[in-house]
Amino acid sequence: MPGAVDQDTFDRSRRVGWLNLDAIFRTRVLMIGAGALGNEVGKCLALSGFRRVTVVDMDHVVGSNLNRCLFFTQEDARTGSKKAEVVARGIMDISPDARARAVVGRLEDLPGSFYDGFDIVLGCLDNIAARIHANSHAYHAGRPYIDGGMEGFIGRVMACLPPDGPCVQCGMNRSHAKVANMRFSCTGEGVVFHEPRLAAEITTTSIVSAVMVRECLKIASGRKDMTLRNTFYYDGQRNVAEEMEVPLDPRCPNHPPQVLQVSENHIMSGSVQ
Amino acid sequence: MVLLTFRLKVKNAETGATVEMELDGDNSVDEMIESAATFWNKDMGAYVLRKGKKVLRGGSTLKDAGVMAEDVLELIPDPEGG
Repeated sequence: MPGAVDQDTFDRSRRVGWLNLDAIFRTRVLMIGAGALGNEVGKCLALSGFRRVTVVDMDHVVGSNLNRCLFFTQEDARTGSKKAEVVARGIMDISPDARARAVVGRLEDLPGSFYDGFDIVLGCLDNIAARIHANSHAYHAGRPYIDGGMEGFIGRVMACLPPDGPCVQCGMNRSHAKVANMRFSCTGEGVVFHEPRLAAEITTTSIVSAVMVRECLKIASGRKDMTLRNTFYYDGQRNVAEEMEVPLDPRCPNHPPQVLQVSENHIMSGSVQ
Repeated sequence: MVLLTFRLKVKNAETGATVEMELDGDNSVDEMIESAATFWNKDMGAYVLRKGKKVLRGGSTLKDAGVMAEDVLELIPDPEGG
C-alpha cells in the first residue's frame, strides 16, 4: 500500500530545501512562443508545479513540428490547431491544478502593460526581432526574462534580472541586426525571410528548456542569489556546457545612462528618454 | 595618428579551425566578426566573438574590449531558433 508520501505529487520537490513550492504554485508565468522550446518548457513548468501559465503564439501546428513537440499530434497538424491552445491544454493535462491560458496572436500586438500581469517572462522564440521585443518589454516592466535559443546541437540560455545586469540585447551585435532586418526588409510586396541555420533538435531543446525552467524555479523561490547571471552555453557536438559573461552595454537602449552630463558644471540625474 | 597593428588568432568554434588576423586597436569587434564569418563562408546568422569566458561587445573597438596581441578569440554561433 502506498503511504501518504507516495500520494503527494510534489513530495520529491519538497525534499529540495530551497524550493518554495507555495511561491511556485502562485507565480504567474508568461511563456512567449509555443514551438519546440515552448512544448518542452511547458512540460517542465507543469511538472515543476507552476500553475499559472499564459502561452502566447500566433502560429498553427504543421507536420514538421511533430518530431520535437511533445504536445502536438498528427490530428493537430491535420486540422492546423493553434500552438498556444494545444500547449496550454497539454499543461493542464499534465497538471490538473494548473490554469493555463492561451493567447493566439502576435507578440507585437500585445499592449506594453500586458507584462505587468506576470512575475516571470520566458522567451521561447524563434527569431531575433521577437526576442528584442520581449526582452525590452520585460525589462522595462521590471520582470525577470529568461531567454532560450538553439540551433541543431547548440543552445543558449540567458537570465535577465532588471534593474540589474545586462539584458539579451546587450549581447547582440551587427550580425544580429542584419538577421533581424532581413525578416523585416519589407518593401511593398516582398518580404525577405531568414531561415535559422539549423532547425531545433529535441535533445538540445530538452537541455535548454530544463535550464530555463530551473532558473524560473530559483527566481520564483526567491533565490536570485543562485540564478544564472550570465549566459549558459551548450554545444552538444563538442560536449561543452559553460557559463559565459555578457557585459552590460552602456549603449543598449534598455539601459539609459542614469547620469546625464549637461555641461562641465551641471550634472543631471535621471533617465534619458 | 599612429595606429598600433597587431596579430591575433580567431578560432572557429564549429570546426576548430583558426585564422590569424592582422588588425589595429581601432578595428571594431563587429568588423572582426564579419571578417571571420566571411573568411569561413559562414551561413547568414548571428555570431558572437568571445575572449575566454567573456562575450565581446560588437560596437566596441578591440582596444576598448581589452583585446591584445597574440590573443586567441573564438567565433561562436548565437542560436536563434526556438
